[in-house]
Amino acid sequence: MSSISIAILPQLIINGLIAGSIYALAASGLSLVYYVVKFLNFAQGAVITISAYLFFLFLDLMGLNYGFAALLAIASSIIIALLMNLGIYKPLRKRKATNVVLMLSSLALLIFCSSLMLALFGSGTKTLSLQNKTFDFGLFTITAIQISIIFSAVLLLFLIWLIIKKTKLGKAMRALADNKETAQVLGINPEKVYSYTFIIAGALGAIAGILIGLEQNLYPRMGVPIIVKGFISSVVGGIGSVPGAVVGGLFIGLVENIGIWFLPSGYKDVVSFTILLLFLLLKPKGILGVRMRDDT
Amino acid sequence: MIHEYLLQFLTLISIYIIAVISLNLAIGFTGLLNLGHMVFFGIGAYTSAILTLHGMPWYIAIFIAGLTASILGIIIAGITSKLKGDYLAMVTLGLVFIAIAVSRNWSSLTRGALGLPGVPDIVRNNFHYMIFTLMISAFCALIFYRLVNSETGKIFQAIRDDETAAAILGKNTYFYKILSVAISTFFAGIAGSLFVHHINFVDPTIFELEFFIMILAMLIAGGLGSIKGSIAGVFVLSILSESVRFISFSPALLGAFRDMVFAVALIAILLFKPRGVFGKVDV
Repeated sequence: MSSISIAILPQLIINGLIAGSIYALAASGLSLVYYVVKFLNFAQGAVITISAYLFFLFLDLMGLNYGFAALLAIASSIIIALLMNLGIYKPLRKRKATNVVLMLSSLALLIFCSSLMLALFGSGTKTLSLQNKTFDFGLFTITAIQISIIFSAVLLLFLIWLIIKKTKLGKAMRALADNKETAQVLGINPEKVYSYTFIIAGALGAIAGILIGLEQNLYPRMGVPIIVKGFISSVVGGIGSVPGAVVGGLFIGLVENIGIWFLPSGYKDVVSFTILLLFLLLKPKGILGVRMRDDT
Repeated sequence: MIHEYLLQFLTLISIYIIAVISLNLAIGFTGLLNLGHMVFFGIGAYTSAILTLHGMPWYIAIFIAGLTASILGIIIAGITSKLKGDYLAMVTLGLVFIAIAVSRNWSSLTRGALGLPGVPDIVRNNFHYMIFTLMISAFCALIFYRLVNSETGKIFQAIRDDETAAAILGKNTYFYKILSVAISTFFAGIAGSLFVHHINFVDPTIFELEFFIMILAMLIAGGLGSIKGSIAGVFVLSILSESVRFISFSPALLGAFRDMVFAVALIAILLFKPRGVFGKVDV
């Protein structure tokens, strides 16, 4: 065993839960789009970045109050997510582009938006000005922001689950995910449902962006590592499954943080990518055993 | 004497041509969607940098750079041979982030985020180096042209079009896929080596996605499955991105604007001309 004592284990688990909540939020946006629209939308990372920067713009540069700044940032990010779908993904689908082409264009969008944030806000890191309070529970400490991250993640993911399982829209999403042709025959308009999917994913990404912005610093490329972790989490949990995104996110968050016990902290990423490779090669259905598409 | 700026430009173009053609062999000719191509480029760069900094002559270092990239490529291709389409894309994309994490943390070898400065020049004179890379680039283009028109190249393309059919016809598709990746990554490593001896520095940012998006935009602009398309793609997009320089942004902004040009170019090609200029197959 390493030199770090067992006394810090509770703290590592708490840190893992916080990181895991963030990963689960990032993963659920990816998974939702993958489930309904059938491609890996890396531009979800761009939505996260844009939302964080807009929140910073409204809150710190324009001096709006927290609630209003957050609301404006979320609304603008949802519009951006919707525009990405209507402006780029929809025309691509119209010309029958493969899911690989959609994925590549989403990667290009992610790079574009990171560079745009760099051009607009500069390469330096930004910190949101916010009062934070630390609670000491003896075994571990946690801040007010971290508690709100965990609670928002739980609440949001429960809401998404409700939408998919209990609403008419969710039913249409499931029908489309299952069989597009049959769904169309039954009178479901795929493009309309896709747009709603991007609105929900956009909202998830926007809220994730604000929460991440509160917990960490902002920098133009912040969306890349976050969406990559979200991607790993969704593969581990079972890609295309929102509950899977939660399981995967918490799993990766916990493994990375408890892994510090054995490994230098710089190897966090190596640990999660090794897990990614193992899952893709040995258990591509993920922990929850999601049914895979067979057309790949 | 040719202007220094033009020399830099032509040297980079020669290096990018090798990177793009070798990626074309994997994606365009064999149908293997390798999004981790620039990992092998970076490994070539690091290998060559480390070896020459330890006093090894460059002509051995370049070769070992290609070989190291190729051996890693063979291992990855061997493990992932069952994966296709977006699952292969996911694994190879994962390689990018593993490479970044390892190069940042293996400090004893790579000096982490500080990078390795002072990588020696192969030849002192920039004009001679431009000629040197141009020759290697032309040589690579010739090799790939011969390869894709050979018996082996036809089998690669058969695997791309219908792997099951190729297997039914008695072709060992496992072997040929690995062979394609071995050749592709070998030349990616060579390109990386030439690159690092040109800019005399390497750090973990060589693995960043921006660089891959640039190479991918060049490949798809030229067209998948066409060697001359790849060469054209490199020229057209390089000139396009260099034109950003004349709008005179600050150096910090220049990089960001260039990345934006490549990202927009890639999206525009995928939207409006998915087969590029000379492309023979869809992405």
